[in-house]
Amino acid sequence: MTDNILAAIARSVRTVLPEIGPDQVRQDRSLSDLGCNSVDRAEVVSLTMEDLGIDVPVNAFSGVTDIGTLADLLRAYA
Amino acid sequence: MTAAALPRFGIEALNVYAGLARITVPELLRGRGLDPGRQANLMMTSRSVGLPVEDPVTNAVNAARPVIAALTPGQRDSIELLVTSTESGLDLSKSVASYVHDYLGLSRNCRLLEVKQACYAATGAVQLAAGYLASGASPGARALIIATDVALTDERAEYAEPATGHGAAAILVGGQPTVLALDFGAFGAYSYETLDSARPTPEFDIADVDRSLFAYLDCLSGSFADYQSRVDGADFVRSFGYLVMHTPFAGLVKAAHRKLMREQGATAAADADFQRRLLPALAYPALVGNLCSGSVYLALASLLDQAEIEAPVRIGLYAYGSGCSSEFFSGIVGPGSAAAIRAMGIGARLAARRELSFAEYRSLLDVTRHCLVPEPDRVIDVTGYHEFLPDGGQHLVYTGSKQYHRRYEWR
Repeated sequence: MTDNILAAIARSVRTVLPEIGPDQVRQDRSLSDLGCNSVDRAEVVSLTMEDLGIDVPVNAFSGVTDIGTLADLLRAYA
Repeated sequence: MTAAALPRFGIEALNVYAGLARITVPELLRGRGLDPGRQANLMMTSRSVGLPVEDPVTNAVNAARPVIAALTPGQRDSIELLVTSTESGLDLSKSVASYVHDYLGLSRNCRLLEVKQACYAATGAVQLAAGYLASGASPGARALIIATDVALTDERAEYAEPATGHGAAAILVGGQPTVLALDFGAFGAYSYETLDSARPTPEFDIADVDRSLFAYLDCLSGSFADYQSRVDGADFVRSFGYLVMHTPFAGLVKAAHRKLMREQGATAAADADFQRRLLPALAYPALVGNLCSGSVYLALASLLDQAEIEAPVRIGLYAYGSGCSSEFFSGIVGPGSAAAIRAMGIGARLAARRELSFAEYRSLLDVTRHCLVPEPDRVIDVTGYHEFLPDGGQHLVYTGSKQYHRRYEWR
């Protein structure tokens, strides 16, 4: 399950920033580390939720610090 | 009720005042030591800057005065509701509208109110006013809604600082909607509690950038879905000739448009569609910054000044206010709308704003960021700012406070 979600995040990152390699999207890194600005981050999260067909409330994102915690949150709503 | 019988109300006149000074975005990024490469993401070239002789009252009055001056005495007296929409309130009880009512010389037979819901509130007031006027309770009445704010942002806001504007939009609502005829009953609302941005004290803005951008995008989808549920056949791609959105910075509007196009299965057309339907509405916001609840009306003025509108066309509008509340609505504009906006000379006034160096900007900010702090007595030396003021003696300035009573003069 985690792999599916990480794969969806990686697809979204590479849609927004095509120059990012697939192996760069790791759980211990943040979207900012990968060069995403504020608009990019919002787009990555929106795209991933659309991809997975899930809807996560805005307030639920407060504990997200890196791609691992983002994946954990998305998994909780999948 | 047939379509022909729907009440026809909307915006009769619109003017935007965006201050007397500006700083370019590269100069501000340089002064703060921020990455100049981020300007492309912001899609902004300059922003308006407030002066110590300006406050939410002067901004409101300076935006509305040309609108009122164009009315006959009878039309002016038909304004039976004055609403100021602001997140820059000056008092917990007394409204900004109470001062504005006086300096605009409006009738005493007029309701005064102040509303607040971050960058959404003016649109809520416009819709409530249009609905009230359509009720027929007071035939021939008009309402004046003024979105007015000042900026408190400093270096703590990082990349939001160059995107924050200063000024006001004055919106006259009535039954002769020359600027925008609202589609009666065509709206969609979407609201829920979140703390994405707020002004918990008179000197500090909270800005959770990620949460705010995400909520803005989420609410566009949510409010448009509600619009679709009320309007048969509504289609984001085909129903609107142009789009006008609340513009914290143009880069976010571009992302929001791309998201909606994707949701409609029109990703491939997104870039060309953005250029055609949205770019005209982004020209003034890129020169001014975020005007809070006046932002969507600055974008509307931009569209009407920039696009060549040769025939009546339906436009879609999106207002979003942190906290959060949002609305997608629509209306008809035409050649007369563009002529009415052109007569206000907004573009020429934006070009006439005095350009500041970073050092000048920072010294002004030392004073203006305390603008909303309640002080019983304050004296502002107006003579220090004469070089900023336009000629003609028709510009309202803040001169200070005495026992909390704010004082203003025409200069």
